[in-house]
Amino acid sequence: MIPVRCFSCGGVIANKWEEFKRRVYEGESSDTILDDLRVTRYCCRRMMLSHVELVDTIAPYY
Amino acid sequence: MKIEVLEMSDRFAKFVLSDASIAFANGLRRAMLAEVPTLAITEVNLYNNTSVLYDEQLGLRLSLIPIKANTDELVPKEECMCDDNCPACEVSMTLSAEGPKMVYSGDFVSSDPEIFPSDENIPIVELKDGQQLFLEALAHVGHGKNHSRWQAGIACGYKTYPVVTFHNCDKCRSCIEACPKDIIQMGPSGAEIQDNDMLECTLCRSCADVCGINAITVDQDERAFIFNVESDGSYSAEELIQQASKALKKKSDGMLEVLEHF
Ligand SMILES: [Zn+2]
Ligand SMILES: [Zn+2]
Repeated sequence: MIPVRCFSCGGVIANKWEEFKRRVYEGESSDTILDDLRVTRYCCRRMMLSHVELVDTIAPYY
Repeated sequence: MKIEVLEMSDRFAKFVLSDASIAFANGLRRAMLAEVPTLAITEVNLYNNTSVLYDEQLGLRLSLIPIKANTDELVPKEECMCDDNCPACEVSMTLSAEGPKMVYSGDFVSSDPEIFPSDENIPIVELKDGQQLFLEALAHVGHGKNHSRWQAGIACGYKTYPVVTFHNCDKCRSCIEACPKDIIQMGPSGAEIQDNDMLECTLCRSCADVCGINAITVDQDERAFIFNVESDGSYSAEELIQQASKALKKKSDGMLEVLEHF
């Protein structure tokens, strides 16, 4: 699950995650999406860019 | 003291504070980050959790969700007159969901219709088929200095107002090329920076370094500050600045009271 807030600055990022994910799948480049969502600081940008969703990996073992 | 607002949207604000000291500007910045009271989840009663997240992980995620509330009507638990808990110091919210479903912050049912998560679309946990979540969350008022869950101001900062002056420019254009922000233009009497563009200057001094005839001085006005404010959603940017000023006022009122009864 995407962290609710950025580790460094405390800005809420989880509210932008699903739009970010959808638009990346639609083929948009991630830097224009992040600019568009006003995720301007690089601390918050790395939260989005480096996130790996693991729910589906763990779920079979529950 | 003067304020010139450059941007004021729901979550972002940019303004120039002038005729103020560095100490005051920094006080305001710190108040926005650490002294603004907000509501956040501090306790969770879990009745059922068969999701992929541990109870503690779930609790952490819930606590970081910003909550919109009128904090003037609420008091921190330590300051409340009641014995254990009361509506003035504690707000209860329940969450109940069964998979397959993505649970969002908007699924919370609050005991007070005026108090709700400021974003409805924060994913809390994804429930697979048959997984259940049933919990009661208790929110309390606190301050950003104690935990990031109460931090309403995000990366609030300021810089002193840049003052770049040009004398006897020989129009060599080298500063125009050197400026990383592309704000220097060629005017009729030599290189110049428009007033609006001056806000963009980072005081990097590249232009002064590259100038062959030392025609450029880069200085700063230490009585004017360009503020950048971002809110987490629990307040609008405007309310955040007001609340921070209130927090500063409360502190100085407290000091005055102590001195009067000295
Ligand atoms: Zn950040
Ligand atoms: Zn109470």
